[in-house]
Amino acid sequence: MLEVVDVDLKGAEPAGEGFAHTFLPGEITVVLGANQSGKTDLCRLIAGLNTRATGRVWLDRQEISQLDSRRRSVSMVYQAFINYPNLTVAQNIGSPLRAQGIELPAREARVADIAERLSIQDYLGRFPHELSGGQQQRVAIARALAKQARVLLLDEPLVNLDFKLREALEVELRDLLHASNTVVVYTSSDPRDAFSLGDQLLLLDGGKKLQSGKPIDVYRQPVDARAMGLLADPCINELKHEAREGALRPEHVFFADDLALRGRSCIAFELTVIACETNGDESFVHGEVAGAQWVMRCDGIRRPRLGSRVSVKALEQDVIWF
Amino acid sequence: MLPLLTNKRWLKVTAFKPHNNRAWLGVLPVFLIVGFSAVIPLMTVVNYSVQDILDFNSRFFVGFQWYRDTLNDARFVDAFIRQIGFSATVLAVEIPLGIAVAKGISKTSRMTPIVLVLLALPLLIPWNVVGTIWLMFARPDIGLLGVLINAAGFSYNYTADPLHAWLTLVAMDVWHWTSLVALLSFAGLTSIPAPYYQAAELDGARAWQVFRYVELPRLRGVLVIAVLLRLMDSFMIYTEPFVLTGGGPGNSTTFLTQYLATMAVGQFDLGPAAAFSVLYFLFILLFCWLFYTMVMRNDER
Amino acid sequence: MAKIALDKVSFTYPSADKATLANLSLQIAQGESHALLGASGAGKTTLLNVLSGLLQPSSGQIFFDDIEVSQLSGRQRQVAQVFQFPVLYESLNVADNLAFPLRVQKLTKSKVNARVDYICGELGLDAVRQAKPKSLSLFEKQLVAVGKALVRPDVSLVLLDEPLTAVEPKIKWRLRQTLRKVQAEFGVTMIYVTHDQTEALTFADRVSVLTADGIVQTDTPQAVYQSPAHEFVGHFVGSPGMNFVPADVLSIPGAQRVGFRSEWASLVTRAPLMGVIKRQRVQGTRKGKVYGLVTVQTAFGPIYVRGDLADGGADAALGTAVGVQVDRYVAFANQQKVAESDRL
Repeated sequence: MLEVVDVDLKGAEPAGEGFAHTFLPGEITVVLGANQSGKTDLCRLIAGLNTRATGRVWLDRQEISQLDSRRRSVSMVYQAFINYPNLTVAQNIGSPLRAQGIELPAREARVADIAERLSIQDYLGRFPHELSGGQQQRVAIARALAKQARVLLLDEPLVNLDFKLREALEVELRDLLHASNTVVVYTSSDPRDAFSLGDQLLLLDGGKKLQSGKPIDVYRQPVDARAMGLLADPCINELKHEAREGALRPEHVFFADDLALRGRSCIAFELTVIACETNGDESFVHGEVAGAQWVMRCDGIRRPRLGSRVSVKALEQDVIWF
Repeated sequence: MLPLLTNKRWLKVTAFKPHNNRAWLGVLPVFLIVGFSAVIPLMTVVNYSVQDILDFNSRFFVGFQWYRDTLNDARFVDAFIRQIGFSATVLAVEIPLGIAVAKGISKTSRMTPIVLVLLALPLLIPWNVVGTIWLMFARPDIGLLGVLINAAGFSYNYTADPLHAWLTLVAMDVWHWTSLVALLSFAGLTSIPAPYYQAAELDGARAWQVFRYVELPRLRGVLVIAVLLRLMDSFMIYTEPFVLTGGGPGNSTTFLTQYLATMAVGQFDLGPAAAFSVLYFLFILLFCWLFYTMVMRNDER
Repeated sequence: MAKIALDKVSFTYPSADKATLANLSLQIAQGESHALLGASGAGKTTLLNVLSGLLQPSSGQIFFDDIEVSQLSGRQRQVAQVFQFPVLYESLNVADNLAFPLRVQKLTKSKVNARVDYICGELGLDAVRQAKPKSLSLFEKQLVAVGKALVRPDVSLVLLDEPLTAVEPKIKWRLRQTLRKVQAEFGVTMIYVTHDQTEALTFADRVSVLTADGIVQTDTPQAVYQSPAHEFVGHFVGSPGMNFVPADVLSIPGAQRVGFRSEWASLVTRAPLMGVIKRQRVQGTRKGKVYGLVTVQTAFGPIYVRGDLADGGADAALGTAVGVQVDRYVAFANQQKVAESDRL
């Protein structure tokens, strides 16, 4: 169990004003936040690296705040594909084991095992620069796993990868990380990662903790518009109704002719279409509703004419009031 | 894979305190080195420049007397003007020539590394050897250059004609230092991403427009460094003219350093020489500062 | 503005033993917005450079409006290009940047100004006309770069090389829309190179899917998604890609494999294709129910099915035996499409 106490990610508040959070072993906690929200600082604080963040770190009821980073049982994977360029893949993966003083035969067995789990067993003799970006990041992840640390920090590890690679690695990562009884902290700015990887979710905003909990609970009951916006793809639709302010998720807005809405209590809106985007399985229709910018997310390829006014509806129960 | 720096204990502490002054300790060695290498010797000179020291026990405070004397010294003013003329001339030749040479080097050829090494050769030759090379090279009686010029019908003798002496000095400096500008510019040119050239070509830009709008703006940084280096260096030039012309004929190639050396080493006028040195130092500082702020202000605009 | 035709274009790099582009043929209509979609290593950049005149094809011909241009430079072809990151003249302000390609052509001052005004108006650049590129955001800079590509009235083809790479994800759609809008208004032929399916499917009238073996399909975004001509297209387009199972499992004759998208299948108690629920990935709620992606482990590997999740996505459903009912499919033989079911 990893606990952080009195954390201030911007290093600007007086002591005692910071937040606390507990990360459980065997669970993946996705830390979601925009750029500059302090995600990386949180990782660096836990790892004991130089950062502006302040706070105390406890691992399994022992304070490790003062401990040298090398002596903490923590490993980290970075955004950039960081490997030792002059070592082969096998030597890269084996490097933390060597540092731990594990002898060669045992080391090789473990390297082979980890490499196979990450499907890089065929590249063990190559150098990092001879690999593709996806493979390089696999090596970095393998090295982090090899250390068998009690805490594994992954700081937006997939952000620099092609989208198809990302998809494949995401699925593998989840199984791999669940198999170990490690505290896994995975930072991201993509709300999709919260659901696809996270057992737990921690929302950060401006260096502060916004909300935490199971992804679906945070999704259903966000504490405020910012928390809702962080977990919205691509953003939330704000609305005013009888002096109340609320918001709708893009996937909760439907075209008015949607049959499934019949007989349920709905709110109707007029949307002026300004843009349509699609990736095949979903379409994003951007538009204006009463002066506010809205997006609706719908199945399949939908292309209403730009500039046209369409009637849209939302279930009353889906509106989140603040 | 942790960065080395983070292993230091004092850096660790910063993680828990917003403000920590221990980092200053890290810069202390630099202050000490700079103190020993620059500030202390400089203060010695300043000390000499405001006193008249006859021997260890008899010294008189003279205030700014030496400074006034130096500034009113006609030979100082002449040397100063000559110095500015020299620096301006070599800069005016070396910068454009250096860029031109850099543009002439192919970026992709297999010969490029060899060309670069050849270019760097003059930079590796000791100053006084450069002087000696040119001393012989330009001699009108036996030097290759001198003989050739005379054979071409021009009467050339750098030991007798002040203009010839000047031209020879400039030629020597250009020969010695243009490579530096060329190497810096070449590094600047190779760092320009290919799409910039491609875009300019598709826009229909001609060669000089590519130079003016793509290359020159991106060479700014290295050119500022090149100009600063050459300005300081040429302003302090001593060995080569000393070997080549000895300041002559007459005083026509006597630059500031040379005059200073005569004063301090030849006549042992330590007070005036010290004042001279301080003024000299301030002038170089002033020029560099002027140039730098000019460039930076231009940048702001 | 021109129609573009590639006829059996090949390109081999001097030191390589295998052709990067082999026998590519492609027709692009005048005023069409066309996307070249492919993974890294498929030769996208090479094709782009062949089109822009930076590289000359090793064999084959390129036609712009029926005139052969294979050996001409990009300047002679009157091609403009927008690069991955904004390429501008840094010492010139926005208006001068836009005017640059026109001034080079020695157009009169009034003509230049009129055109620059027009472009600034269309792209909403009026407020930053006097600004230097350094003071602009990446988004604005890339907008100026787009303007510079469109400014010449005689431009025959505008090439876009993943122009949104450097732009912040949340505002990418704005630039994409602006591009789409000006493309339609100006009627210029545009080719958009990308590995991102959203960009390709959103931007283009037609999409060509490029692989290391050449173009495997050229069609409308709808057709590329719903009726892939090649297994690779089904796999590469869509997130997740198509599910593939042997054709005899679904008793479909004349084919080797059958592909279906996650939303074309549903979970039932009994079906020819059986498996166990391995994972339920929540994507949100819809009409009050938790929906998302169910991974069903079958004898033919994992199958993804999109829809409402069992037990609200709870782990209790894991391990349950289920059947996958396929409502719609595309059938393949030798990786090529041979049949597809009607829309249901």
